[in-house]
Amino acid sequence: MYLTVSNATKHYGQFTALDDVSISIEQGEFVCLLGPSGCGKTTLLRTIAGLTEIDSGEVSLQGKPLTKVPARQRGFGIVFQSYSLFPNMTVAENIGYGLTIRKTPQAQIDERVEELLETISLPQVGGKYPGQLSGGQQQRVAIARAIAVDPSVLLLDEPLSALDAKVRASLRIEIRHLQKKLGIPTLMVTHDQEEALELADKIICMNHGVVVQAGTPKELYQNPKTRFVADFMGTSNLIPTARIRDEMPVLLTARPDGPDDAYIASIRPEQIAISAREDGTSTVLSTGFLGNLNRIEVDSPLGEILVETHGPCDLRQGQRVSLEILAEACHWVANDEDGVNP
Amino acid sequence: MSQTLTTKQTAIGGRTFDSDKLLAVVCLIVPLIGLFLFFLYPMVIVFLRSITVEGGGYGLANYQEILASKGFWRATQHSLLMGGATTVVSVVLGYIIAHGLHRCVFPGKNLIRVAIVLPMLAPSLVQALGLIFIFGRNGLINRFFGLELEIYGFWGLLISNTLYALPQVVMIIGAALVLLDARIFEAAEVMGAKPSRQFRDLTLPGVIYAILSAAFVVFIITITDFGNAAVIGGDYSVLATEIYSQVIGQRNFNMGAVVGIMLLLPTVVSYYIERQAMKRQQNQKATNIQPYVPRFYGKRDVPMAMANYVIAAMIVLVIGVVVYASFVKLWPYNYSLTTKHYFITLAGGYSSLWVTIWISICAATLGTLAVFVLGVGLRRASAVLTQPIQVLASMPAAVPGMVLGLAYILTFNSTSTPLYLLYGSAALIAAVNFYHYHTQAFMTIMTGFRQFPSELEEAGESLGAGLGRISFNIIAPFVTPMLISIFFFLFMRSMVTLSAVVFLTTPKLSVAAVTIMRLDDAGLTSQAAAFSTAVMVVVGLALLGMKGILVLVQTHKARVKGA
Repeated sequence: MYLTVSNATKHYGQFTALDDVSISIEQGEFVCLLGPSGCGKTTLLRTIAGLTEIDSGEVSLQGKPLTKVPARQRGFGIVFQSYSLFPNMTVAENIGYGLTIRKTPQAQIDERVEELLETISLPQVGGKYPGQLSGGQQQRVAIARAIAVDPSVLLLDEPLSALDAKVRASLRIEIRHLQKKLGIPTLMVTHDQEEALELADKIICMNHGVVVQAGTPKELYQNPKTRFVADFMGTSNLIPTARIRDEMPVLLTARPDGPDDAYIASIRPEQIAISAREDGTSTVLSTGFLGNLNRIEVDSPLGEILVETHGPCDLRQGQRVSLEILAEACHWVANDEDGVNP
Repeated sequence: MSQTLTTKQTAIGGRTFDSDKLLAVVCLIVPLIGLFLFFLYPMVIVFLRSITVEGGGYGLANYQEILASKGFWRATQHSLLMGGATTVVSVVLGYIIAHGLHRCVFPGKNLIRVAIVLPMLAPSLVQALGLIFIFGRNGLINRFFGLELEIYGFWGLLISNTLYALPQVVMIIGAALVLLDARIFEAAEVMGAKPSRQFRDLTLPGVIYAILSAAFVVFIITITDFGNAAVIGGDYSVLATEIYSQVIGQRNFNMGAVVGIMLLLPTVVSYYIERQAMKRQQNQKATNIQPYVPRFYGKRDVPMAMANYVIAAMIVLVIGVVVYASFVKLWPYNYSLTTKHYFITLAGGYSSLWVTIWISICAATLGTLAVFVLGVGLRRASAVLTQPIQVLASMPAAVPGMVLGLAYILTFNSTSTPLYLLYGSAALIAAVNFYHYHTQAFMTIMTGFRQFPSELEEAGESLGAGLGRISFNIIAPFVTPMLISIFFFLFMRSMVTLSAVVFLTTPKLSVAAVTIMRLDDAGLTSQAAAFSTAVMVVVGLALLGMKGILVLVQTHKARVKGA
């Protein structure tokens, strides 16, 4: 394990930002900290950066404790949501700042800055000031500044959140390529599950200051352990045990033992097959056309169910339909009563 | 890369000594030592001296004596009455100017802005000097009309205090008027509210706390001002002149201290109310303000323009007559022009002007550095410490210059401590000037620091920058406009302040404002005018210099921001 945080706890007065949190990052891994605002993900990132002190617990790099090492001696790179370029320095001075501090000869700094400007595909902007660049350009410069010193860990605090949709999508891909190329272990904080799914080797899903589930994007999406994860990672139809028992008992086979409200069924909308049938037990409530997919709300014996289909769809409101759900599509998740849409 | 490797190694070596923490502590301790030594300690001394009874020991005998004296009650009554009257008059006139400048349409606003700045360029006694040239026994009016108008006393003092206070009122109320969002007025307009109604329902409530704050600022500067009272007060004794006569006239330092403490009481209360009002005013501030652009409305703008011109003309007249009189052969008999009054005949000549410039540069440089360092230290200090330090740093504004000056003479003229070495030195005068205006400088820098995004500091930290580097490379450039303003503010105040330094000058070491007072005392009124003019030129140039530098900084920032 390259970087580990063990049993980190942090209180702000009455509020618990981190509650006995332990995570780890492997060499070269891209890890996303995912969770709603206030879940403690930024506190955890700042703890790793050395910008926030924890009440108890330990941060260590390659087995050596970091807790007492101030931020400026950790040799990490950090990128903030607000770009945070030094407004009084040129782009080149910003990128070279870390090297200047490390007393690198100027010629070497110039060379490195040049190279990084190429890497972020902004070779012409070295002499400009941050204020003269667009948001996306500024954020690329901020990334270049962070990696200029060959950081042992790269920390990204919602780096894409302030950008508009198109720029966000393209910069997301760039970050992914850059990280793979350089192999810097990277921790990114985000509240955008799509971003996490696309970028991460591993997602750590947090809520209320605790790690709810950690795993590959696939594991988290296909095998959520709790209602919170099922709901936060994409959309899920969450159906109480009693309803399943009454209407589709076949789905009960995979259910762990436990009282009715301990587990809840989670079924992804795209895993449900829908077909128009005069004798169907369900009715279409509404249909939404989203371009590449259709979102259909159905009133069924299981309750109101959301179904997503690809390709052409000629279902109309009020039409009788039947739904088909395979046993594999139904995941039983711990009912942590903390879903976004209870 | 090898540099990173060494960083990693030291990091992993678990170095626990953090030079940054040491630097942060030094940043806090050094300015605090200054505040203790040059503010808190002298204030304790002045209090102790006020309760030191004849023959040693502590007691309230001095207070009993003062409270039993008719002179003290008369001075108190005069001070309060003068403070109240000046407050009412200057808030009304100041509001008219601020409202005219920001919410009316008429030509010549820039001239009015220049006129309103004039009283700040000179020591407070210049207004009094100007009034004497116009209304005095040998003034224009009495000579021309053959009258026997008496300007010394209440009315003369009221007018000169008002002129002196006006710029402050205009600045405080103007700053609040600017922050009123245009959209609320557009909304009212659409709903059918007439301008008078908008004024009553929106404008006035929007700036009411600024008006309150301005009122208490005026009250404080009026009851603590010494220059005008000394020159034009005549027999109308006020607390500030009472302290002076106790200390300089009767050499009774303990009694002076008692009167000083008595003057401190209303000032502290007023200052407290002023701060509360200002806080409420600032709480109303919305983000993303749409600036209000007035449109011409004859019924409002014509009378407002007239009022503005008249008030501005009065200021220009009173200050201008001082400049004019300095070039006139023998006021008011022979108006042919001459430069002879610029050859100062009083011992020392212009040396006090050069000394004052030097002192002002020192006070401004060290003062700006001190508040910046304190601001840096406060960023890293724990919350338990920041609160009391901020309170301490904000206290000097509540202390009248006379009282601080008296505290200094009691503290530094005593041979019992090594501080005695500072007595009679220019350094001490620089110190009193800085600590007298410490609060304003401190608050300006704190405003700058509050606007500074902490991510910039954290980004620097993560790149390996220590506190020193962060302060120099990142914070200082960000707060440059504030540093410039503080430097020139301290310079200009040090150039003209009289009350704090009047006790600290010695036969060997005088400052400009005191020299002007001495010239006037010696009956060399025209030379006093000439010396005042010279001071106004220096301070005026400083003001222009500041504006120029700020414009340069702003254009650089704008260039850096792109189109």
